[in-house]
Amino acid sequence: MIQSRSNARVVIVVVMASLLLCACEREPARDATRTRLEVWAHAGQESERHTLLAQVERFNRRQDTIHVDLTFVPEGTYNAQIQAAAVAGDLPDLLEFDGPFLYTYVWQGHLLPLEGLLSETVRQDLLPSIIEQGTYHGRLYSVGTFDSGLALYANRRLLEQIGARIPASPRQAWTAAEFSMLLAKLAQDDADGAVLDLKLNYAGEWYTYAFSPFIQSAGGDLIDRKTYMRASGALNSAASVSALTTLQSWIVRGYVDPNIDDAAFVSGRVALALGGHWNYSAYAAALGERLVLLPLPDFGHGAKTGQGSWNWGITGHCAAPQAAATFLEFLLTPDEVLAMAEASGAVPGTRQAVARSSRYHKGGPLRLFVEQLVGGHAVPRPRTPAYPLLTSLFQQAFDRIRSGGDVRPVLDRAAAEIDDEIEDNKGYPWIEPVRRAKQ
Amino acid sequence: MRRRKALGDQTPVAWLLAGPGLLGLMLFIVLPFLLAVVLAFTNLRLGSPLPLEFVGLKQFARIVSDPGFQRALFNNLVFAMVVVPLQTGIALGLALLLNRGLRGTVVFRTLFFMPVVFPMSLVAVIWILIYAPGASGMMNAFLEMITWGAWQPRDFLRDPLLALPALMLLSVWQGAGFQMVILLAGLQSVPEELYQAAALDGAGRWQQFLHVTLPQLRNPLIFVVLVTTILAFRVFDQVQIMTRGGPQDATTVVMFETVQAAFTRQQVARACAMAVVFFLIVLFVTGLQRRLLRQQSEVA
Amino acid sequence: MNTSGIARKRRWSGRAAGHAALIVSVLLFIVPVLLMLIGSLKPDERVLVEAGTIKALWPDSVSLQNYADVFRRADFARFLVNSLFITGSIVSAGLLVNSLAGYAFARLRWRGRTLLFNLVLAVMVVPFEAIAVPLFYQVSILGLRDTYVAQILPFIANAFSIFLFYSFFIGLPRELEESARVDGAGVLRTFFFIIAPNARPVFATVAILSFLTWWGSYLWPLMVTIGPGVRPLPVAIATFYTLPPLQWGDILAFGTMMVMPVLVVFVAFQRWFVRGVAASAVKG
Repeated sequence: MIQSRSNARVVIVVVMASLLLCACEREPARDATRTRLEVWAHAGQESERHTLLAQVERFNRRQDTIHVDLTFVPEGTYNAQIQAAAVAGDLPDLLEFDGPFLYTYVWQGHLLPLEGLLSETVRQDLLPSIIEQGTYHGRLYSVGTFDSGLALYANRRLLEQIGARIPASPRQAWTAAEFSMLLAKLAQDDADGAVLDLKLNYAGEWYTYAFSPFIQSAGGDLIDRKTYMRASGALNSAASVSALTTLQSWIVRGYVDPNIDDAAFVSGRVALALGGHWNYSAYAAALGERLVLLPLPDFGHGAKTGQGSWNWGITGHCAAPQAAATFLEFLLTPDEVLAMAEASGAVPGTRQAVARSSRYHKGGPLRLFVEQLVGGHAVPRPRTPAYPLLTSLFQQAFDRIRSGGDVRPVLDRAAAEIDDEIEDNKGYPWIEPVRRAKQ
Repeated sequence: MRRRKALGDQTPVAWLLAGPGLLGLMLFIVLPFLLAVVLAFTNLRLGSPLPLEFVGLKQFARIVSDPGFQRALFNNLVFAMVVVPLQTGIALGLALLLNRGLRGTVVFRTLFFMPVVFPMSLVAVIWILIYAPGASGMMNAFLEMITWGAWQPRDFLRDPLLALPALMLLSVWQGAGFQMVILLAGLQSVPEELYQAAALDGAGRWQQFLHVTLPQLRNPLIFVVLVTTILAFRVFDQVQIMTRGGPQDATTVVMFETVQAAFTRQQVARACAMAVVFFLIVLFVTGLQRRLLRQQSEVA
Repeated sequence: MNTSGIARKRRWSGRAAGHAALIVSVLLFIVPVLLMLIGSLKPDERVLVEAGTIKALWPDSVSLQNYADVFRRADFARFLVNSLFITGSIVSAGLLVNSLAGYAFARLRWRGRTLLFNLVLAVMVVPFEAIAVPLFYQVSILGLRDTYVAQILPFIANAFSIFLFYSFFIGLPRELEESARVDGAGVLRTFFFIIAPNARPVFATVAILSFLTWWGSYLWPLMVTIGPGVRPLPVAIATFYTLPPLQWGDILAFGTMMVMPVLVVFVAFQRWFVRGVAASAVKG
């Protein structure tokens, strides 16, 4: 008796609970008078989040035809979440993409081209690197409000102590040989012999972002950029192998600090640290006058560096693309670009904002980042829908290399897998026109 | 008065009763299973705008020649070959000890079974702490203690040779209690007369164990061995949380490769091919169990 | 020489050796559990540093600070509720659905019974992992990722549970149904009011085994959930472990809270647990 009644009771509770949950997931009613835009952004640093929220508020207040609804998605699962939404046809009107993860969504037909939507003046103001990042098959699909900077932070005093020359611009960068000798000299005076911080503790996308420039500087690359069809011949070329072997030798010889506590440079354990724009505040605070920003070493084909960061795109789902473009143009006004750049520490994405930035204007402490982006020293990560797999495989390969694995076979294997992937997707043929996502 | 109906055809009612269960099995097991088999012969990817194509055995050829998947199969095999005897041996030993009827048996039994109710993901996180590198790590300190200082501290989870054994140890810890309980039940059902008869025949303790205990335990033993073997192929949680298949494929397993393919790389067809291979292996092992058990009942 | 005296001495030393072996084994077995419990009460910095010493199991000071930190840093209550809701739903709906099916196979005559029962036996052989991927694909294209439904619905019907119920019902005396039929009761009434109350052991066994299986389920929720909204505890602790900063005290507190409900239930009902596990072996 008791059994059956409690059974029934439980079933009823479960059914009711499920109904309740379904009810809660229903969307709020749409406002008929204003165009509503659903916008997703990654939940980055607190300052970035606050700034974006403030920007949305300012935009909503200054006009009454468009209302932006902003949702933050956790950074760690961001790509997974938009991929899931894309598959289910649930993408918002406007959303951010994590650098080169953009292209797979363009290829899958989820994004609208921006030429007709953004005004000419706005586009002229953008840094060339931003345009390069957002362009796929000749058309612009996304714009970023900031770009990233990658360089070598150094302790000037320690360099002067060993009599090293200090490069004043990317063209004067150390050669690889010079750099290796420098490391050896610094190591002699150092307590544990580890004088370089490569941020190995970051792992993840950092490996591709920070270490592919070394390969490119040596004349190799992650993929053949003429056709984007093969990684073999590029990733496992002699140049790539040699560049990564040199990197590996620094690690094996003990020059590189594992940086487990993420404080090798600020605590003074190392003289040199490979780092990004986000490291500047902490480093400047720790080293003050002794901090100097230097280009990566030149492995033969010029000093190279990384670029690319979060960028915004408008989906085919959007019922009011022009409204979305209006919001984007607002984010790209100099004031707003500066606000976000200050919050994130990144390079402002427009020339006007760069000119007004205290860190990035001519003579500013981080001017090097701008020079690198504008002067052609920054190489974008490969613009291919295969990028997610490419970076995953490269990260695995780099992990094996840093642990002492044989460089050539590791790169061979990664390149073969990337080739398989591209072949499986028939080289990512361009399917025109852009298909609208399921309503 | 109602006439007693003959026990005739109860089909409509039966479908009402069995319907939901059967529907669930169909929709959520049979259908996905068939889907996996079909998709394994295609090039399906999540979110790709390319049309779906049949590619025959290409996925299977790819995974069979993939060094990662090969290593995964090998690791699963090694895992089974080490964990099964080790865990079963420990479980049997503990069950024998508990079967003596010493004081506090229930308490001991509870304590040995406790790890079984721990979710494996929690076990994985705790053992990450135990395997912490450096001299202050618990495992390192323990090994140093029992080898009188001969042991050098190691980073277990990043060591290509020690990583898999490290995972095996915690799996044994988590699963031994489960087997012990089953074996203990089996031991307790062995009729006392058999031991007395054997003793009368002059058999010592060891002989009694070999000729009375083990044969009587045959079915439970086969059961725990086969279940543990199948579980050895289903290993996933520890690998995902503790080592992510590393270092350099030293701990990758079939399920990890499958999840990587499906979930991280969106290669649904490839993952389905791996699932099919995995299923065939499990089927083979299960078939073995059925055959062995049937032999036993035939003999009996 | 008194032979029984020698025998008694042998028995006594055998007892002592046995006891000693048991105690050593138990100590080794529970060290990780104690590490978790004690570590959760220690300050974060001390957990890792003292892990290799006796202080790992015998702290200098205890405090509940880590527990407070867990609630501050993670939405533990939500994860607990998610786990309870999901597992509870699977178990309770499963008890209903599978017992009815098991009864139909065991005691009713109907067309297709043998064929479908063989299907159930065949399905028993299929491990979940073999169908996880296609199920994931189905869930993805239906847009059901990151929902409760995706974590509950597929697991309600369970071939092994049906089999356990079947095995039990087969053994019940026919008189139960006979007397019910005499009273004019239909099949459903017979099941709920006569059969089920007499089947408490198998319901308990299935409930416990089912609960143990799904409470710790990690693979499926990992694939199917994205954000913290419907995330259950096993996935939550793995995520919490990767949440910077790495504070072991907090992690161990999370783990303790996560396993405490199950441990309590287990210790209270351990006789049922043991019986359930043993029964599954006999039937399997």
